[in-house]
Amino acid sequence: MIPSAGSDGAATRPSPRWLFGVVDFGVTIVLWVYFTLGFVVFFGPFYLLAMIMGPDRHLRFQKLNHLFYRGFITICRLLMPRQQWRIDPRLAGVRSSVIVCNHISYMDPILLIAQYARHTTIAKNRLFGFPILGWLLRNSGYLPSASQGNLAGLTSRCLAAMPAFLASGGNLIVFPEGTRSRDGTVGAFNAGAFKIARLCRAPLAVVRIRNTNRLFMPGKFLFNTCSANTHALELLAQLTPDYGGTNFSLTDLMAQVRAILEESHESRFDLHAGRGSLGDS
Amino acid sequence: MTRSEITQRILTIFSERFEIDHPGLDDDLREVHEFDSIDAIELLREIEIMLGSELTHEEKRQSMDISTINDIVDYVQSLAAVRSAR
Repeated sequence: MIPSAGSDGAATRPSPRWLFGVVDFGVTIVLWVYFTLGFVVFFGPFYLLAMIMGPDRHLRFQKLNHLFYRGFITICRLLMPRQQWRIDPRLAGVRSSVIVCNHISYMDPILLIAQYARHTTIAKNRLFGFPILGWLLRNSGYLPSASQGNLAGLTSRCLAAMPAFLASGGNLIVFPEGTRSRDGTVGAFNAGAFKIARLCRAPLAVVRIRNTNRLFMPGKFLFNTCSANTHALELLAQLTPDYGGTNFSLTDLMAQVRAILEESHESRFDLHAGRGSLGDS
Repeated sequence: MTRSEITQRILTIFSERFEIDHPGLDDDLREVHEFDSIDAIELLREIEIMLGSELTHEEKRQSMDISTINDIVDYVQSLAAVRSAR
């Protein structure tokens, strides 16, 4: 039986189940080996070089993270022929923006960082305490999610550098829900991303991510590699709020972004119509 | 500027900029009104506009101890005093 994608880009799992389970296991191992040994062996030396090369260390780390994640997506594409990747070509033109995106899987930051060499993002505070990951996050100029304890100074430095970073063409990638949605609905927003946009007078790019949770499901260890599935990154809107205007309201801006994301959730993703703008990537 | 005038200016900033209306003068801004480090940076910018001069790195560092509106007013008064003494 050859599975086919449904109109929302996802399909039921094919049979025989045991065979595809073996494939899922093998591919998962390859991806984890890339994430661990691949990082150390292939990228580690470049990160160390980036560390000692003088100024602009953050930009070099961001570029390396971008390449590392592009490599990850490339492996996914090679090993998972039933997975389609549709990236809105307009996303390539997004610069100097705060990119706000719904969040459904750990794949989401990987997919977004793979699009932008000059990027930063907000990471959970506890991740900064992990041995190698914390070092990577600090040197990449990523922002802790809360200004607390020994991360208060780092937060201040990151925020102080943010206006210049965005003005120079970098993007801030944020998942304002702060956590993955289990059912695809848009959860409550943290205001931080929107406050940073206001602080930096930066435009917002509202992005919808679809179906990454079908490849790497929350709570699962194995990647679901054999079911036909189409991952999509779609630019829903670009907003340029009048931050200095007397009528500007952060609450209203958050409500506007929420409405855009909710509307896109309710409208089914038509693969065949493709909305006329999504290309394979 | 008198203390009352500073207080009024700060309350106006909180209402217009941070959408925090009528905060208690001794409310813990972080706990009660979710005032965070991003807001603090914006507030310092507004204080610079109010004073008509940039804050030094040391002056900005001093602001990290602020937690209430009264603290902010004290802070602005001390900054204004330093500038008027120059």
